[in-house]
Amino acid sequence: MDSWLIAMMLGGSIFLGGLALLAFLWAVKNGQFDDEEKFLNAVQYDGEGELNDAINLEKKKAKLKREREYRPE
Amino acid sequence: MSLSTKVACNHCHLEFSEDVMIKENEHYFCCNGCQGVFHLLSDEGYDSFYSKTGNIKLTPPTQQYEDSSNFNAPAFYDRFVKTTDDKFNQVSLIIEGIHCSACVWLNEKALHNMDGIIEANINFTNNKAHIVWADEILKLSEIIDMIRAIGYDAYPYDAEIQESHANKERKDYYLRMSVAIFASMNIMWIAVAQYAGYFSGMSQDIKTILNVAEWILSTPVLFYSGWIFFRGAYYGMKTKIVNMDILVATGASLTYIYSIYITLFKEGEAYFDSVSMIITFVLIGKFLEVLSKKNAADALDIMGKHIPSDINVLQNGKIVSCKLSDAQVGDIIIVSSGEKLLLDGEIIKGSGSFDESSLTGESEAIYKNIGDNVISGTLSIDADIQVRATKDFEHSTLSNLVHLLDHAMSSKPKIEQLANKLSEYFSTVILFLSVVTFIVWWIWPHSFETALMVGISVIVIACPCALALATPVATLVGLSLGAKRGILFKEAAQLETMAKIDTLVLDKTGTLTVGKPEVVKETILEDFDKSLLYGITKSSKHPISQGISEYLKEDTLEIINFDEFTQLQALGIKAKYNNNILLGGNAKLMRENGIEISYESDKTLFFFAIDKKIIVIYELDDKIKKGAKALVEDLNRKNIDVIMLTGDNKNSANRIAQEIGIKQVFAEQSPEDKSDIIANLHKENKNVVMVGDGVNDILALSSADIGIVMGSGSDIAVDVSDVILLNDSLEALMDAIKISRTTYGLIKQNLMLSLLYNGITIPLAMAGYIIPLIAAISMSVSSLLVVGNSMRIKLQWKHN
Repeated sequence: MDSWLIAMMLGGSIFLGGLALLAFLWAVKNGQFDDEEKFLNAVQYDGEGELNDAINLEKKKAKLKREREYRPE
Repeated sequence: MSLSTKVACNHCHLEFSEDVMIKENEHYFCCNGCQGVFHLLSDEGYDSFYSKTGNIKLTPPTQQYEDSSNFNAPAFYDRFVKTTDDKFNQVSLIIEGIHCSACVWLNEKALHNMDGIIEANINFTNNKAHIVWADEILKLSEIIDMIRAIGYDAYPYDAEIQESHANKERKDYYLRMSVAIFASMNIMWIAVAQYAGYFSGMSQDIKTILNVAEWILSTPVLFYSGWIFFRGAYYGMKTKIVNMDILVATGASLTYIYSIYITLFKEGEAYFDSVSMIITFVLIGKFLEVLSKKNAADALDIMGKHIPSDINVLQNGKIVSCKLSDAQVGDIIIVSSGEKLLLDGEIIKGSGSFDESSLTGESEAIYKNIGDNVISGTLSIDADIQVRATKDFEHSTLSNLVHLLDHAMSSKPKIEQLANKLSEYFSTVILFLSVVTFIVWWIWPHSFETALMVGISVIVIACPCALALATPVATLVGLSLGAKRGILFKEAAQLETMAKIDTLVLDKTGTLTVGKPEVVKETILEDFDKSLLYGITKSSKHPISQGISEYLKEDTLEIINFDEFTQLQALGIKAKYNNNILLGGNAKLMRENGIEISYESDKTLFFFAIDKKIIVIYELDDKIKKGAKALVEDLNRKNIDVIMLTGDNKNSANRIAQEIGIKQVFAEQSPEDKSDIIANLHKENKNVVMVGDGVNDILALSSADIGIVMGSGSDIAVDVSDVILLNDSLEALMDAIKISRTTYGLIKQNLMLSLLYNGITIPLAMAGYIIPLIAAISMSVSSLLVVGNSMRIKLQWKHN
C-alpha cells in the first residue's frame, strides 16, 4: 500500500476532527452549554423573529458605539 | 349563571368561578394585574406568548412593588452594576415568576426590544438574567419596571461573589479536558495500528507516519491540557516540595522528547500515546477534585450577603436612605418590624420585642422600651422604633462579630491530607529510582539510548494515573452517598477530616432539641370551650402561644371573633368575648390581674383564666429530638467524646443532658465562650466537630475542624459550616460520620491498590521488560481497579 495514501487519510481525518474540536471549544467558551435547559428549549423559539431580534441587538450595539465615538464622554 | 362554572383567566390560566372574573369582550381575567399584562402583551405584539405557554398556569402579577427608583441610587449602582469593556453597563438579575420556557422567551423578547439594551440573556435553569445596556439611554429602574409590567419581578444579585470564580475554573478544566480526551481517543486508534504492527511487522515508512500523526495529536495535550501540571511543578519547585505535578510533568515531557527523537532519527517505538494518556487520566482526576471543591468565598463576602448596605436615617423630619458606613454616632435610625438592627443604639421612640438569639443564644424574645439599649445584630420582631446610634458601624457589635468570624475562619486548622503526603513521598522515590535505573543501565554496558529509555519507562509506568484517581473517585462516592441521605459536604476534603474526629460538640436548642416548646402536661381545672383558647393563642406569634395552638389543633374547633384583643408584652394576651374576660399568659400576668397562683414547675407554664378564674394550666417544654439518645450511645461506642454547649440556663441544660446521657455540659455560654471551648479542645490536640444551627453558633462552627449545621438553621450558620444536614435529623449526623469513615477507608484502599500495582510494575520497568503494550495496559487496568473498587463500596451502601 502506498504510504502516502495512509498519510493523507490520517492527516485529513485529524484535520477534520480538529475543526470539530475547535468549533466545540468555541461554543464552550461562548457559554453555549452553560444552560442545559435552554439548549433544549430554545429549539422551540428558533424562528425568524428571534434571528431578527439578534441582528437588531447587534445593530443597536454598533450604533451606540458609533454615537459614542462621535461624541466621546 | 351557575356558581360552579369555572373559567380560566386569559393571562394566568388559573381557574375561578365565572361570576368573580373580570369580563371583557370574550376574555376573562382573574384580576386587574392579569388584565393589564394581557393588554400590554397584545399592544406590543407579544401575544404569541399565549400560544407558547399552552395551558401552563402562571402567577398573577402582584401590584405591590417597592419604588423602582431605589435601583438608580448610586449606592446601588456601586454594588451591583458593572461596566463592560465597551463601557456599557451590565447587571445580573434574578427574575421571579418564571414558569416555563415561554416566560423566558417573553422576558427576553421584551428586553431585546427596549431601546438601549444590547444584550439580555436569561438562564432557563436558575432564572438568572444577564443584561447589558447603555446607561445614557436607559436607567436600571426602567428595565426592572419593564419586567414588572409584563407580570414578573426582578431583583439584582452580586454575580461576582456567588459563582463566577468557581465556574471559571471549572470551565477552564473542561476545555483542557475536551482537548485531552479528543486527542487521546484519536491516538488510541492509531496505537491499535501500531500494536498490531509491533507483532506482525510493519514497514518503517508506515511507522513513521503513525508516529508523526501521534506527535501532532499529543502536542496540544502536553502543552495546553498539561499546562496545569507544568504550573503545579513550577510552584512545587519554588516551595521545594516534590509533588505529583513534577512527576507528571517530567515523565510526560521526557517521554515526549524521547519520542520525537525516535520518530525523527531512529527505528524503535515512540511513546506519544503514553504522553497523552497520562495527562488525560491525571487531568480527569484533578477535574473530579475541582468539581467537589467548595466555592471558596471569604468570610466577609458571606457576612456581606447578610448585612444590607443601606439604612434608613431620619434627617430634618424626612426618612433618607444612606450607606451603612456613612451613618454616624447620634444619627436617628428608623427600624421597622422584621428588620435587623445594624448599629448599636438607644431607643428614643417606640417599643416592642426583640430577638437577641444571634448574640446571646437566648431563644425567648426580649421586650424593650424607650431608653433601653439595643445591640446591632438583633432582630426586631414587632417593634417599629427610632434608635439613636451610639456607635458607628466600624465599632458596632455586629462588625466586631464579622472580624471575629474572619479570624476564626482564617485560623481554621487543616488536617494534612493523606493522598497529598503520600504522593510527595511517592514522587520523590520514583524520580530517584528512575535516575538510579538510568545510571545502572548506562554503567552496565548499554548504550546511552537504551539506558535513557529504561529510565524513562520507570517514570512512565509509575505515572500516577491510579494514584491521582484514587482520592477524587472515592470522595465523589462519599459525596453522592451523603447527598442521597440529605447530607451535603461542601468540600470533599472534609470527608477525610471528619473521619478523624474524636470530639463532637453539640448545641442544645435546635440541634438536640426541636427548638420549639411543646405541651408536655395539661392540667384542666374546669371544663371549657377549647375554641376560645385556640382563638387567642392562634393570634399570637409568641413561641409559647404557637406551642399551645399546635397542641389544640387536633380537636375540632371553630373560629371565634373576639370583641377585644390585646397582646401584653412579656406577659400574655387579654381578650374579651361575650362579656367574659379571657386571660392567657404567665404567672406574672395572673398576679397582676389579682389571681393567686400556687402551681410550680421547672418547665415553662401557661395559664388560661376566664373571668379571673384559672381554667387550665399547661406545662411546656422543648422536646428532645428523636434518636438523640441512640446517637450519644453510638458515639460513645465509637470512642468519640460528646460535649453539649448551650446559652440556656444550667437547670434545663443538665436535665436534657441527663436524659440523653451526655456527661460534659457547658451551660450559659456566649458565642465567644463557645468558640473558646473549641479552641481549648484544639490545644489538647482534639479533632473537633461542632454541630449547631443558630447565629449564636457561627463562631464555634467556623473555628471547629468541621462545622455541621442543621438545614433549618440560619443562613449565615449554613454559610460558615462545612456540612449541612438537610433533614435536620440526628440520624443524618450519625450517617455523616459513618460515610466519612467509609470514604476514608476507601481512599486508603484505593491508594494501597495503586501502590501495589506500581510495586509490581516498577521492578519490571527497572529490569527493562516494559514494552509499550504492557505500559498501556497497566495504565488502564490500574485506573479501572481503583474506579471499580469505589463502585463496589457504592453498591454495598445501596443495599444497606
